[in-house]
Amino acid sequence: MTRYDLTRLPLVEPLLRNRWPQFVTTSIALGGFVFAIIAGMVGTPVGSRNFGIVSVWIGWWALLMLIAVPFFGRGWCSICPLPAPGEWLQRGAVLGPSTGTGRRPGLGLRWPNRLRNIWLQNGAFAVIALLSVVVLTTPSVTAVVLAALLVLAVVMSLIFERRAFCRYLCPVGGFIGLYSQLAPIELRVKDPAVCACHTQKTCYTGNADGYGCPWQVFPGGLVKNTFCGLCVECLRTCPHDNIAINLRDFGADLSNPAGRRLDEAFKAFIMLGSAMAYSAVMLGPWGALKSAAYTVGSAAWVIYAAAFLVFIFVVLPGLFFTAVVVGRRLSQNLAENSTTKTRRPEGKRQAFIALSYALVPLGLAAWIAFSLSFVFANLSYLSAALSDPMGWGWNLFGTARVNWTPYLTQFVPILQTIVLVGGLIWAGATAQRIAEETSKMRSLPVIVFCLIVTLVLLGLLVG
Amino acid sequence: MTVALAATTIAFAPVPAATVTPVERHIRIEAKSFEYSPAVVTVNSGDRVTLELAATDVVHGLYLDGYDLNVTADPGQPARLTFIADRPGAFRFRCSVTCGPLHPFMIGKLNVGSNWLMLRAVGLAALGIVFVTQRCRGAGAQRNL
Amino acid sequence: MTAKGAERAARLTAIVLALGLPVAALIARWAGWGAGRDSVIEIHGALAEAGGWAPADLTATVGEPLRLRLTSDDVMHGFAVGQSDWPAVDVAPGEVTETTITFNRPGKYVFYCTRWCGVNHWRMRGTIEVAGPTTSPAIESPPLYVTLGLDLDAPHPADVIPERRPSADRGAEPGATIPVEFSTGEYFRAHSPAEVWRALRASPASRELADAEVWDVVAFVWRSNSTPESLVEGKRIYAANCAACHGETGAGNGVMAASLASQLTAEFGHGATKPADFTDPAKMLGASPALLQGKIIRGGMGTGMPYWGPILTESQTWAVLSYLWTFVMD
Repeated sequence: MTRYDLTRLPLVEPLLRNRWPQFVTTSIALGGFVFAIIAGMVGTPVGSRNFGIVSVWIGWWALLMLIAVPFFGRGWCSICPLPAPGEWLQRGAVLGPSTGTGRRPGLGLRWPNRLRNIWLQNGAFAVIALLSVVVLTTPSVTAVVLAALLVLAVVMSLIFERRAFCRYLCPVGGFIGLYSQLAPIELRVKDPAVCACHTQKTCYTGNADGYGCPWQVFPGGLVKNTFCGLCVECLRTCPHDNIAINLRDFGADLSNPAGRRLDEAFKAFIMLGSAMAYSAVMLGPWGALKSAAYTVGSAAWVIYAAAFLVFIFVVLPGLFFTAVVVGRRLSQNLAENSTTKTRRPEGKRQAFIALSYALVPLGLAAWIAFSLSFVFANLSYLSAALSDPMGWGWNLFGTARVNWTPYLTQFVPILQTIVLVGGLIWAGATAQRIAEETSKMRSLPVIVFCLIVTLVLLGLLVG
Repeated sequence: MTVALAATTIAFAPVPAATVTPVERHIRIEAKSFEYSPAVVTVNSGDRVTLELAATDVVHGLYLDGYDLNVTADPGQPARLTFIADRPGAFRFRCSVTCGPLHPFMIGKLNVGSNWLMLRAVGLAALGIVFVTQRCRGAGAQRNL
Repeated sequence: MTAKGAERAARLTAIVLALGLPVAALIARWAGWGAGRDSVIEIHGALAEAGGWAPADLTATVGEPLRLRLTSDDVMHGFAVGQSDWPAVDVAPGEVTETTITFNRPGKYVFYCTRWCGVNHWRMRGTIEVAGPTTSPAIESPPLYVTLGLDLDAPHPADVIPERRPSADRGAEPGATIPVEFSTGEYFRAHSPAEVWRALRASPASRELADAEVWDVVAFVWRSNSTPESLVEGKRIYAANCAACHGETGAGNGVMAASLASQLTAEFGHGATKPADFTDPAKMLGASPALLQGKIIRGGMGTGMPYWGPILTESQTWAVLSYLWTFVMD
């Protein structure tokens, strides 16, 4: 596996080390974020003409799912405006680290051990997913959700230390972390031996050049992208210039058995299941389903919500578990003749968790394919929303009257096919590799599971 | 090598010409509260198709993907769209007049002849599976040796 | 730059970048930029169920332009002022349409939605009170049905039905001269086709004609009281305002008929009245123009038929009526 350290390029390292570029970018993003909230609250209630809806669910979402996550992993997190105000308060400085006034209003509590996982994120995503059809289409609801997340992030920053919100609560951060394992970019140490000898661990504690890791990660121990927010504080604090931003192969983290966990495995199911459900609800031809998903609180919605939850938490993992069990049986039958049985009771669970990581590329492909469907069809709304963000009849850039025009409708299905088939092959290869780690597994049933999921998605999006 | 050849064949093999005699088709599609009815319309490749859009609650539209055709209809004033369905495949049609909150998700589908893209996709998916499993079996066998 | 200076600059940057845009937008709004002058009234349109027009009651002064900025908060609507020549404008969701109206005569005008927006579309109305010097108050003559003392709600079946569809073309041919009293507008408007048929039948002038041929003459009388232009105008008005309930073919089976029925049942509890079937000869040939005009002007009183009095001009009602009879007569 080849890696290329981008910090070796001219300009990259100084641009990352300097606090201003990241700070200004985050502030601009915060401006857009606050503007989206204001637009959602006081602008037109027509979603397709409201900056809040259009900028977030078409503009930002397209950037995130089609570019940021696949190519930069947690790149978005490094400039995300959501935790910024809370973090500034927590630090007593907006630029830092040595520029602050020293007043730090936060309590700085440790995050409870029991919650040091992403189950809360899984839950937060599921809750928003159940309301998504309303959130996506109603400016005021989007504004409330965005504002609530902002307030929550501030409160979390003031109660707990570092970026507890990002790591344990942010509904978006959970899946960005999951899929960042696929990104061709990573932050790692150049030489672990240097870290081992460095007793002060300034990357975790911070120094005059930067803060200790906000994500509560020790860079020297990084093997996966999942919880590294790419904030590059460690690059600033490392006295030995031992931090690298590497270009690497896509999906490099998946072949690393370390750090596989049940909460993350379920994140993979939640994401894959949501992409399938959304493709049916939002892009399918079934009006009753759309209405059920929209009328939050009605009996139809309760049924929809229950079905949705059962699908992502029970049906999909259940089928997958069956596939894993069948895979183990197959390999045992083959092995029975030659070797002795080494069947451990916890083996199934471990195999289930490990093989779930094959769903990471499958899930990302599903989300990209799903997003392609509505992003290009509705991209033209951006022109109007930029010129007349509130629907007040402004025409800032002369594009307020641009009519809705779907783009690339002939090519989107072809792109979706390529993405979905590519995701399947990637998932299949990943499953094979993971199965080979223990050699007590047959990956075929899991690959068949991936094939069925892909065919369902193809049927919904392309068929 | 074989796999690459097979994949190329599946992806780019020319579509056989339609064998069904084209006919004239008149299809009335009612549009109401984020749903078309019928939501899935099937015609043969080459048919001369007239879609009659009848809105039954508020003003709706119908934009046909791939053919880049658009029509809008007020309740009581159905509008027609006539075209030759000369491009095979599955094409989404979407509401083109904001008709309420779920407007962006008001989607139906026109099937024209066989959906070759879908067939190619299934073929490529199957081939991909074969490729992945064979390659690894090969690798495994080599390792065993 | 000192650390303190850098932090101060950063704080300023953060505040400007994070809040500058939203605050600027709000200031621009309050300062009225885009909205322009204070004399402009911004009107939001929404489904009648969601409140209709807001504001719905406007005031204006004769001779002074009334500037409006119209926008829709949900679906496509339209805006027009009843009994006036100002062209209707579309009111698109989330977009702003500006229009200016100047009234020449004082009075109470009704503005209304021109694009069908559901079964309660016609309830989406507002008023404009136009003040001004009442030098010469227009003499409003009451509608004909009032003058004639017609009971609009009484059944009006035709007591005689033609065997074949009457045709004005055929009616124009026969040598039978139409007695002059049948040709006047006053007579025509006060009598149903069936009544005219009976009168013609009894007239010695049509002694030679078969019953069906007399019906053709009736059709000719009806056509003589319309013009090709009024038929075109009537057809346009019908398509835009009537077809959603009464059907494009006039059969009373428009796309709104079903939801109208369920709404009426919910509202009044009684079995719903269906939209009138204009292809039914018994109904159409038994009604005089004055009667049908009365129904249009007054509305259906609980049947879901809107009152068009404040909206359609008298000539528009005659135009749409002349079109209605083409559903039973050629």
